[in-house]
Amino acid sequence: MVYSKTDKDFVKMKKGCILLSWTGIVVSVIAVSIFLTAVCGAALVKLPKDTGEARADIITIDSIKIFGKLERSPVNFFHQKHTAALDKKNQSCSACHLSEDNRMSYLYMRLKNTTRQDVMEIYHTGCIACHRETAAAGEKSGPVTCGNCHRDKTTVRSSWQPIGLDKSLHYRHVRANQEKCELCHHQYDEVTQKLFYAKGKEGTCRYCHLDKAREKTISLRSASHLQCIDCHRQKQSKNENAGPITCGGCHDQTEQEHIEKVKVIPRMKMNQPDFVLVKTFNKEIGESNPTPRMDMVPFNHKAHETYNDTCRVCHHADLDACVRCHTVQGSKEGDHVKLEQAMHRLNASQSCMGCHESHQSDPNCAGCHSSFENKRQQDSSACKNCHMVPRALVSGEAGQADQKKIAAATLEYREAVTATYDNEVIPETVMIGTLMNQYEPVKMPHRKMVVAMVDNIKDKKLANYFHHEKGTVCQGCHHNSPATETPPRCANCHGKPFNPKEPFKPGLMAAYHRQCMECHRAMGIEKPVETDCKACHRERG
Amino acid sequence: MSISRRKFLGWLGAASLATTLGKSAEAASNKQFGGYPGSMGVLFDNTRCIGCRKCEDGCNKVNELPAPEKPFSDLSLLENHRRTTSKEYTIVNRYDDLGNEEGPHYRKVQCNHCLEPACASACFVRAFSKTEQGAVTYDESVCVGCRYCMIACPFEIPAYEYDKALSPRVMKCTMCYPRISKGLLPGCVEVCPTEALTYGRREDLLWIGRERIRRFPDRYVNHVYGENEMGGTSWLYLSGVPFKDIGMREDLGITPAPSLTSGALGAVPIVAGLWPVLLTGIYAISRRKDRIAENEKQAALNAALAKASAEAETTLSQALQKAAREKEAAIEQAVSKALEEAAKAQERSDSDPEEDIKKPSKENA
Repeated sequence: MVYSKTDKDFVKMKKGCILLSWTGIVVSVIAVSIFLTAVCGAALVKLPKDTGEARADIITIDSIKIFGKLERSPVNFFHQKHTAALDKKNQSCSACHLSEDNRMSYLYMRLKNTTRQDVMEIYHTGCIACHRETAAAGEKSGPVTCGNCHRDKTTVRSSWQPIGLDKSLHYRHVRANQEKCELCHHQYDEVTQKLFYAKGKEGTCRYCHLDKAREKTISLRSASHLQCIDCHRQKQSKNENAGPITCGGCHDQTEQEHIEKVKVIPRMKMNQPDFVLVKTFNKEIGESNPTPRMDMVPFNHKAHETYNDTCRVCHHADLDACVRCHTVQGSKEGDHVKLEQAMHRLNASQSCMGCHESHQSDPNCAGCHSSFENKRQQDSSACKNCHMVPRALVSGEAGQADQKKIAAATLEYREAVTATYDNEVIPETVMIGTLMNQYEPVKMPHRKMVVAMVDNIKDKKLANYFHHEKGTVCQGCHHNSPATETPPRCANCHGKPFNPKEPFKPGLMAAYHRQCMECHRAMGIEKPVETDCKACHRERG
Repeated sequence: MSISRRKFLGWLGAASLATTLGKSAEAASNKQFGGYPGSMGVLFDNTRCIGCRKCEDGCNKVNELPAPEKPFSDLSLLENHRRTTSKEYTIVNRYDDLGNEEGPHYRKVQCNHCLEPACASACFVRAFSKTEQGAVTYDESVCVGCRYCMIACPFEIPAYEYDKALSPRVMKCTMCYPRISKGLLPGCVEVCPTEALTYGRREDLLWIGRERIRRFPDRYVNHVYGENEMGGTSWLYLSGVPFKDIGMREDLGITPAPSLTSGALGAVPIVAGLWPVLLTGIYAISRRKDRIAENEKQAALNAALAKASAEAETTLSQALQKAAREKEAAIEQAVSKALEEAAKAQERSDSDPEEDIKKPSKENA
């Protein structure tokens, strides 16, 4: 009477529809979000690689970074493009760079970074105005809209390489400037707050000018650009032979290869010693000479100068003796690196052992040395390779001059010859016949290998110093047993593989194969090919 | 009587919370399976592998697999990147184009024998089992050939005998389970000329791996692959180049495959069991509401009807009474009129008969 039957059905149906549609919406939202995540994920993975022209003159303009977060992507500015364009118009650097006291600022149209707003304005007005003018004159011009400079992606690859003054380049500058060191080298006087030149105290730029500017010291980047380019420009304007002033001239990889190298470089005149005993105490801070605990180390300073390209390799912070900062006990100045560590640390390029160790990657050395764990050898004979001046000889009153003489004498007396046993003692061939289930015994040309190995290192002074005892060379293969004419057989130690009690000792088969193959690989010996079994083993008939 | 949107969403939320509750509780626990204690494994050291394919040869022999088309000494097969097949439980791939990394690098591919195998968790007939020795073995007698294991395996290892018309099997490396049970070495390990494969207890192998990295930090990538990948595998790897460069997946995470699916599979009883109950409940509640409303309507209708009939009755009775009264009054009137007429007539004739006639009229009133 009140509701007809059809009305009721309709109400039920409507409820069902609402339920169904809600479920549908929820499911589709989930599905869409999963899909989007997948798509975004895929998009992130499939970023295209940078493949474009290589340039050395890309300057990333992000100057206002120092005032806070950037609002847009930094601008990749191609410096050389702009200098070329200005050259055509007969305009000089001053079109973009201001000068103060005859020194050109390397900043764009300003001497200092004042405020965020100012710096931004300088770029926006300067760049856009010039681009507009150029375009109005009907020439090829740069962008004037935001997104064309502030690009999120770049297709250009950087071929920029850092550059430093190696010995050759430094000598060329010394020669060109008639040994006027003061043209580049200076020091800072805290009292007068001025730069001054101190003869004989010249260090590398990097001692003071660090990667980042400090309160009163500009960064290395600023310093080198100010100094180098300024001088090169002045010389160029006088039509003298001058260094490059373009970005690529110094920083481009290929152009760097064309920088002229001086073959015979005279020794630097810094009043440095020829031979010294490595100092273990610092007179300057009032340390007296304690009775040394170890025998002293004579050091051939003159020779090491020829091994390295700059003084910085060892003198990484200043030109003083190591012990001034790296005291025996360690000091704050030396970053608490003790003298012992400064000399022996393996993973440091400035330490004696760190540098010596790095020479072991030479293919002639790596055959043996790549299979040794990098660590200090603890036996006393190894220490004595360096600690060779008896401490009694220098304790007490031995003056500096005496010490130098002792050092020179000791080093001259030292034998630098790789020693090995006489040919008659070295077996000519060794038959390896322990694994004969499939192959004939292997005939190993033992003596030929020893002779070749010794021959490889005979011109290497460092190697010769460390292999002067007979049997040392043999220990590349005959390891873990004392050096002797009659070392134990391989099979004396290597036997059954995978012995849980000796997990680091390979079985005999692997010991042979790895000893041969890894040595050959490290030495760059391509034949026999590792997978060519028959090259070493003759198959059993 | 429709359900409000708020209520529906509330129910939906409660239902979805119920489905996820089990999983989050597990994530908060420290339940983790680190493999059977003392189980065995193999450590593959990529810096020692020379790509000689002896392991493939050894595997083929001990497992009595069909002879290959080209002999194992033919290394031209390394030109292409291969995968395991039903006839090759293990293969070696070569990777040349690694940019600044020198020389060819090799990778041996075989079943990794996961600590918690994905294949086993996907198999609904339990054809796969992780043995205490570490090997993941396969029981062909129960296999129904659904190949879910092949889809489940993150390393794409199990292969199917598609070429067999009758009772094809899923084939994969068994870690030479029959051999290791007898104390022998797996076939590939035994023949490796450089011990690029080291067989031992998994915990020892992890230590060996870490120790090799410690001794030669420049030679290795500082990672033992398989220590935690997919919850850990019995086959472990050391490499001199990034693992992704030798085709190994670095995106697998450290969660064992079964716990990845247990959330979804654990939701099946809830979805299958709880949702019908929930939806039936919702239906029942709305039905009940409908019914109550219906009853209420009926009651109101009945009440209205009753009220209406009662009212009608009273009106009727009143009308009847009124009619009766009117009738009586009319009779009385007619009687008194008749009496008056009679009295008038009597007055005209006689006075006595007037009294006699009055008596019956009083009785009637």
